[in-house]
Amino acid sequence: MTQITEKQEAREFHAEATSVWRITFGPLLWAVHFVVSYSATAVVCAKGGDVGVLRLGIGIGTFLALAGIAWLGWRAWQQWDTLRNRGWENDTGTSQDRHQFLGHAAFLLAAISFIGVVYVALPPLLIESCQ
Amino acid sequence: MTNEHLMPVAEGPYPPTEAMLAEPVSQAEQERGKAELRAAWKTPVGWRYWSAVNNTEIGVWYSLTAFAFMLIAGLLALAIRVQLAYPDNTFLDADRFNQFFTMHGSAMMFLFAVPMFEAISILLLPALCGARDMPFPRLSAFGYWCFLIGGVFILGSLIFDAGPKAGWFMYPPLATKEEGIGPDVWLLGLSFIEVASIAAAVELIVGTLKTRPPGMRVNVMPLYAWYVMVVGGMILFAFPPLIAGDFLFELERSFNWPFFDPERGGDPLLWQHLFWIFGHPEVYIVFLPSIAIAAMIVPTVARRPIVGYSWIVLSAVGTGFLSFGLWVHHMFTTGLPQLSLGFFSAASEAVVIPTGIQLFAFVATLMVGRVKMSLPMLWIAGALAIFVAGGLTGVMLAIVPFNWQVHDTYFIVAHLHYTLFGGMVFPLIAGVYYFYPFFRKKLMSERLGRWAFWLVFTGFNLTFLPMHLTGLKGMPRRVFTYPESSGWGWLNMISTIGAFIIAAGFAVFVYDLFRSKKYQGVIARNPWGAGTLEFSHDVPEEAWGVRSIPYITTRYPLWEQDGLVERMDAGRFYLPDAPDHQRETMVTSVIDAKPIYVQRVTGPAWVTMFAAAFTGGAFIFPTFHIYEPAIVCAAFAIVCVMYWLWTTTARPPEHDMRDAGLGLRLPTYASGPNAVGWWGMWITMLGDATAFAALIFGFFFYWTARPDFPPEGALHPDGMWISVGIGLLVASWALILAGRELNSRAHVARARLAIALAPLAAAGGAFAVYLSVRDLDPTSHVYPAIMWALMVWLCVHAGAGILMQGYCFAGSIAGKLTPKYDADLRNVTLYWHFIAFKSLVVGAVLGLVPGWLP
Repeated sequence: MTQITEKQEAREFHAEATSVWRITFGPLLWAVHFVVSYSATAVVCAKGGDVGVLRLGIGIGTFLALAGIAWLGWRAWQQWDTLRNRGWENDTGTSQDRHQFLGHAAFLLAAISFIGVVYVALPPLLIESCQ
Repeated sequence: MTNEHLMPVAEGPYPPTEAMLAEPVSQAEQERGKAELRAAWKTPVGWRYWSAVNNTEIGVWYSLTAFAFMLIAGLLALAIRVQLAYPDNTFLDADRFNQFFTMHGSAMMFLFAVPMFEAISILLLPALCGARDMPFPRLSAFGYWCFLIGGVFILGSLIFDAGPKAGWFMYPPLATKEEGIGPDVWLLGLSFIEVASIAAAVELIVGTLKTRPPGMRVNVMPLYAWYVMVVGGMILFAFPPLIAGDFLFELERSFNWPFFDPERGGDPLLWQHLFWIFGHPEVYIVFLPSIAIAAMIVPTVARRPIVGYSWIVLSAVGTGFLSFGLWVHHMFTTGLPQLSLGFFSAASEAVVIPTGIQLFAFVATLMVGRVKMSLPMLWIAGALAIFVAGGLTGVMLAIVPFNWQVHDTYFIVAHLHYTLFGGMVFPLIAGVYYFYPFFRKKLMSERLGRWAFWLVFTGFNLTFLPMHLTGLKGMPRRVFTYPESSGWGWLNMISTIGAFIIAAGFAVFVYDLFRSKKYQGVIARNPWGAGTLEFSHDVPEEAWGVRSIPYITTRYPLWEQDGLVERMDAGRFYLPDAPDHQRETMVTSVIDAKPIYVQRVTGPAWVTMFAAAFTGGAFIFPTFHIYEPAIVCAAFAIVCVMYWLWTTTARPPEHDMRDAGLGLRLPTYASGPNAVGWWGMWITMLGDATAFAALIFGFFFYWTARPDFPPEGALHPDGMWISVGIGLLVASWALILAGRELNSRAHVARARLAIALAPLAAAGGAFAVYLSVRDLDPTSHVYPAIMWALMVWLCVHAGAGILMQGYCFAGSIAGKLTPKYDADLRNVTLYWHFIAFKSLVVGAVLGLVPGWLP
């Protein structure tokens, strides 16, 4: 029997054992928000729709995106666990440090995605017409 | 029973204990390992040297070729500067001037910046990861030869006065209407090179994910590897839209399908979108790997680990994402709705945050470290100064009204050179000085390096700082001359003088690079006192990459893991020998780098060169509108690739398991997601799906941008044939999937039947999809043209899929593919997952969407 599959570790951090993708979920939400806002604007401005409805729609979308990113950020904050375990660098080759590092990176990416979504939501907040 | 139970898995203790590592290895054992490795990794000599595929050879050729192209593009820039030195100059005529500036930009971007990143990474990455080679060495070689052929072809067009002259972004309608073969050279030559770039990106991503040394979890991998992964991903999503654009563009030029012709429903703006969806991430594709070099040099200089490792990872990943939301800031004057412009202005300002964070992390590292100034650091300091200045003008340019004011003036020229010189050229040269001892086992001159730095640095600022003013005073880009009354003369003269000072600096650098350094003898192994694994290299050089593959638990193993290098040298880690005299490297898991299996790596071959030459023919002949030889070349290219795959990849091994050292026994074969080939396929298809998405975007773009899409009374594709075609293609996917499952359950005969039927269904399906659009005239309007384009795209992919299915069938008959060894079949099934999905999308767009559009 193989000793290489460390059963306990596999159980503990199973969810992230195969994927680095989850740290990108925050930026992905930013990207979805960006593409949907841009596409909706393009269609409304080209085909003649109600810009008021568009702005409201983008507002709701922004709220949803921000809520999603905040939730991801909260999850990542817990995973980072910096208050209980104050190792800042997480630079040793243990599964604990890897786990916390991915939490830290995901948290920071959630923060930058949050700011990005807010930035992108500003034009429809401030500009009232297509032109 | 599926073959997961048939395949052996890793056995033995892992991770290794201190006691295991301390166990001595006898001298005889060490000598045996060394001799076996030398035999396996022997570099071919004499004229056969050129058949080498090892990353250390390919990387050097690749980077020197890219550097040579850069020098040629630099000479073009000098000619441009001479022409502009004073008003009404006649050194170059307008036509040649246009060719020169077009080629200067195109060559710097496509023949230097991106290939140089890939070349340097091919050289460095295996060493950073303690791997023996890249996972697919022959793919690197193929990519290199494609790059060489394509680059010579594109630059060669200047000699025949046939170069492209519509600017490096080839805007239609200027470029679609341009006489001569210039735009065709650009489109086909660069598409050819882009394919090679994507191939290298796939390999670099797989290399980073799967060939890290045991124990090197994602939180301890070198920052350079993080950047490589991010940039590889960006290439994968940025280049395909351009390839899709090239595809449409060349269809217009060759067959008169009106994608960009407004008179027949087309729209030139689609090209701008597709070009800049590529073009803006491209800037970061160029910048991030260079700043990655800074992330390697700064800790060495500061003599301490980097401050804020996670923050730099955030910076790289965040920039990678945000850079895709900027493309329209190159199109602020095209009349898009201002609300739309606002999104891109906002995202352009947001990207400053992650970009800035990494620079602050470098400064923080230098502040808290014990800085030992060195020549590479001097170049990094210059880079930061220049890049920050370029970044500041970038913030200005992201603001729409300011952008309108300076659009198409020399202010833009100044800005982009500040970002690219500061963000790419300076860090790259710093990297050459820093890694030269690793590349060549010699040192470059400190004194000449300082001369080169100060010449390039002052020359650069003398050239480009005044250009901001030239631009604000109204001088437009791309004019071949200007009148005396404009008052731009003195500024241009200063810029021209500066350009020659830069050239002098480069001359010093080139001399230092190539001068004989024999007098230095054997240099110190780690001359800068660096902490990362590449400086555990063998001096004098050995071709095996690493003597034994270490167990890594820290970010700076040479600083933090005592006795590591001695243990590596003594062969006390993994794979210290090569009993079969075959090239091998270790494949590990994505997150935690646990050993999975030992990958057989391919050795020297000519077939890659032939494959590249024929692929070149397939791209180059159509430039001259000669199609028969192009088809013959394409066929031979396919034969070469098939031969190369058949003879060397995924062959059933002689032994199922291999002693990997330290008591660990590893399988010698893997299929499915464990295998590097599966990852290569998955990542390639992700890029391919992006190109496909760009075509679909085109369809919807026409719908939003044009009132006459689809035109009234237009003929639509035939619904019955679409249903039949898509049904058969999906059936083909189901058959290959069934074949995979039956095969893995050892029902070989039934599996063969399914695999044999699959290509028949696919061929029938492709033909039916063709029949559905046969009656539409693609030259009449963009609506039938885009339908045809989607059909061609799908049929070409189905064709490739048929070849793959045939390959699996032949493999099953020949005993290469068995229930136990089925990597090929799993990869082909993965390919068909994508085809099935695309078929459904094409079916919907051809058959359903036109009826739904309001």
